[in-house]
Amino acid sequence: MGGLQKKKFERGSATNYITRNKARKKLQLSLPDFRRLCILKGIYPHEPKHKKKVNKGSTAPRTFYLLKDIRFLLHEPIVGKFREYKVFVRKLKKAYAKIEWSDVERLKENKPTYKLDHIIRERFPTFIDALRDIDDALCMCFLFSTFARTGKCHVQTIQLCRRLTVEWMNYVIASRCLKKVFLSIKGIYYQAEVMGQLITWLVPYQFSHDHPTDVDYRVMATFTELYTTLLGFVNFRLYQSLNLVYPPKLDSKSESEINEQNEEDYAMSSESYLEKLSALSASLARVVSSVEEEEAQLDQFPTEGEDMENMEAREKELKQEEKAKKLFEGLKFFLNREVPRESLAFVIRSFGGEVSWDKSVCIGSTYEVTDETITHQIVDRPSVDNQYINRFYIQPQWVYDCVNAKILLPVEDYFIGVTLPPHLSPFVEEKEGDYVPPEKLKIVAMQQGHKSVTEDEENEDEDSNEEAEEEEEDNDEEEEEEDEEEEENLKKLEEQRSKGKSLQVKVTPGKMKVENPARLEQEEKAEEKRLAIMMMKKKEKYLYDKIMFGKKRKVREANKLAAKRKAHDDAEKAKKKARK
Amino acid sequence: MAAARKPKRVAASQPGFLTLKSSTNPTDLYSSKRKRVNKNKKKNWNKHSDINDVEDFLEDIRHQERTTGGLLAEKPDDSLFFVDIGQPKKIEEKGKSSRPLRIDLILQHDSLVPPPKDVLAYQQPNAKKLRRSAQLAAKGVAPRRQKLLLNRRTAPRPTKNAITEANNNPNRDYYDIWGQETKDTADPWYLQQTKKKLVKRPEKLNAKPSVLPAVEVIAPGGSYNPDFFAHQSLLQEAHEIEVVKQKEEHKIERQLAYNKDDAATETIFQEQVQGLVEGEDDDEVWASEGDEGDEEQEEEDGAVGAIAVAQKKTERQRKRERAEKVKEQQRLAEKQEVEKKQQLFQLRTIKTSIKKEDQKTKERQTKRKAKQEAQKAQPRRLGRLKFQPQDMEVQLSDELADSLRRLKPEGSVLKDRFKSLQKRNLIEPRERAKFKRRHKVKYVEKRAFREIS
Repeated sequence: MGGLQKKKFERGSATNYITRNKARKKLQLSLPDFRRLCILKGIYPHEPKHKKKVNKGSTAPRTFYLLKDIRFLLHEPIVGKFREYKVFVRKLKKAYAKIEWSDVERLKENKPTYKLDHIIRERFPTFIDALRDIDDALCMCFLFSTFARTGKCHVQTIQLCRRLTVEWMNYVIASRCLKKVFLSIKGIYYQAEVMGQLITWLVPYQFSHDHPTDVDYRVMATFTELYTTLLGFVNFRLYQSLNLVYPPKLDSKSESEINEQNEEDYAMSSESYLEKLSALSASLARVVSSVEEEEAQLDQFPTEGEDMENMEAREKELKQEEKAKKLFEGLKFFLNREVPRESLAFVIRSFGGEVSWDKSVCIGSTYEVTDETITHQIVDRPSVDNQYINRFYIQPQWVYDCVNAKILLPVEDYFIGVTLPPHLSPFVEEKEGDYVPPEKLKIVAMQQGHKSVTEDEENEDEDSNEEAEEEEEDNDEEEEEEDEEEEENLKKLEEQRSKGKSLQVKVTPGKMKVENPARLEQEEKAEEKRLAIMMMKKKEKYLYDKIMFGKKRKVREANKLAAKRKAHDDAEKAKKKARK
Repeated sequence: MAAARKPKRVAASQPGFLTLKSSTNPTDLYSSKRKRVNKNKKKNWNKHSDINDVEDFLEDIRHQERTTGGLLAEKPDDSLFFVDIGQPKKIEEKGKSSRPLRIDLILQHDSLVPPPKDVLAYQQPNAKKLRRSAQLAAKGVAPRRQKLLLNRRTAPRPTKNAITEANNNPNRDYYDIWGQETKDTADPWYLQQTKKKLVKRPEKLNAKPSVLPAVEVIAPGGSYNPDFFAHQSLLQEAHEIEVVKQKEEHKIERQLAYNKDDAATETIFQEQVQGLVEGEDDDEVWASEGDEGDEEQEEEDGAVGAIAVAQKKTERQRKRERAEKVKEQQRLAEKQEVEKKQQLFQLRTIKTSIKKEDQKTKERQTKRKAKQEAQKAQPRRLGRLKFQPQDMEVQLSDELADSLRRLKPEGSVLKDRFKSLQKRNLIEPRERAKFKRRHKVKYVEKRAFREIS
């Protein structure tokens, strides 16, 4: 039989992949440069399905790239820039070694640089694509902006990151799109909804850095390089969408409000503007100084039946959202110096509140402590001397909890020295039958409009707590009860019959049996369900039973946890009382 | 020839002309060797005529002009002489500052010859020309000189683009990158060949290598002021991870540990037994050896026989084998035929079996798909090292802060981001390169001081 002998590893997956080292050599780049290029261009290593085939018979773990990807990289103009840079470094070193300072100067002046604009355009063909990937960029920029300027990375990078994050925060404030805040032990998680995209980012607490040694700073810096470019362009577009001036300018009205004294103490004149911006206390200037934006009315279309209901529901939702956006409107906050200023200012301002602080804390304070119109003062210390009567002294958690609950919570739980209720994560979404902590139930109850409870005294709060608990339990048990209800009905009937027998025969005037149509409907449904269960095949029945069992178990567990919690609370209460 | 000679004669008859031999010292020429020079070459005139006196004279004139601004002979006497009336009174010097700097003196114009006059400045403008130029200007035609000036390429300025163009420049400006459409008016072929048009990015590259979200929010137990149960569940989770780790550590320790007790008891036991069992052991060994020897011999015989047995088959044997083979084939064919016929009656069972097979494959497919889905969220093996998740951030119950002010942040966001990138398969896990010493360090005690030990 004819034909050449097939050689191994000359077709198939072995030719589709290329090892990292080979790729590097193909591109004529050093390993760090190659890594940087891959990060910038968004080309990631790939794990082949059949490693042994790809690796030409060896099973040693290696990093593989797709050959086509590397071929694509060959066309990148930045590769040339990398090579140029290499040569530049070599020349510079030589000049230094020869102590030729004029050469050093000249070389430094002609340092080869590159732009990433075309890469951004290529990787994110539309604005929405960019928005979807902005999470990472935000996290990285917020992280780098908190770095100390100690030479772990370029000072310029830190400054740029700071500028971009301040711009972003100002945008969020201007557009009021913040949704959730979560204070964790790691950092502060924020979530905002920008143009329909949910964007989550993590901001580290200030001054909390120890520099871990097992992190590759070069890689992180490369990512940041890309992300600063991306975030800048996104910011520009977002500012444009709100008719704001970019780069951001303070509103002339609000700028005049800021206390101008001692400006020199905070920052150099070159930096003071950014500092003022980052104070977040003033609103931004608009391109067209618009009149108060009229609230957009939903377009009304003639609709029928279900659509109408949907529309109404949506309208209601929208209204609620609008209301939530103006949560802190009309409130005036004052921050004491021990609370995290930036985070609180950001949150309060993005819900329409006014905020200020002591002028020695930071630039950009707008009013003093002595202002009589202040409604809330945020304090995080055991006691405050010379308090004002007409304002609440509350702990910072109140602000965050209000934002997450979308209503103004009663301030009583957050007074100075009071043990705070737990700070619940707004990112948890409970499914049916899960254990829900009572604090959350309370909040849900309040959201649904049990305002009467909240307006009452503190003492009744606890009661409402329990009530809510009970309610929830009721809800949980409803399904169980459905089954039981019928049995009860039957029993009642029987009893009535038996009673009827034992009693003397007596004719009583007939009563109109009031038929509750809703009730009837429910019964009918329950009956149907029961019949359906009866008609099930054995196999399906088995599955059904299993599912029901699982559900019940979940409910049982939740109940158990709730009971445990109640016992815990009772014990705590008892302890408190004993202490008193 | 005559024409050539004529100007020579004329030149020689003029008063300023210096003849070749008219050098100051004619004795010089005659005294030693007489030099013969062809005078028909201009080169030789220059070489052998002495013009030093003329040069000196001219130099003297130039010197006079430079230093005094004209010939001394033509100057009036007043400017050359003065009446000596003794030392002038010394003016009080105001220190060194009044004296001009030496550098200024050097740079001073030291010649007294006035600069040449600008001839054009004295020229009267031509009315006709002026009219014409005015006409041209009205038409918009610039004069030649101006045109040249305009057309002159300006020298490329030393731009400081390096600083402004750096990517991380904090004051860099952004623009609407998505709004503007790039206008490619040029020939696409030209753009492609000159690499001005970028290669289109394959769609596939925009797919993310992992389905995990960029930011994974910490569990509700990680709140700074957590709900009791959420915190407990988080602690439980952390505890389980820790237990698994510990188990592995223990396992390795156990495997590596040299168990002294076991080794000791074994050796003691052996020592005790050695003397007792020796005789029996020996006998058995011997006996077994003898047996083995016999068996070996037999085997050897058999083996030898097997090789030798390969004899030729007889014709009869072959025939019989062939017949048997045919028979066997027939039997099999018949059997198959029967089975096929039988299958007609087994249709139902076959159908069910097929159904079962189908169901099985379907199940397997779904399982495989589920597994693949689960794999998508898993970090892949992208290099030498496996992905190692970072330690869980957890605060024990007594570590929890009672207020935001007292909160001690746990873990590092930087590390979290880095690990997240690894987890999403964006970068391969690596470890810091270990520092390797190329030469061994030698410890030498210096004479200057002694190590306290």
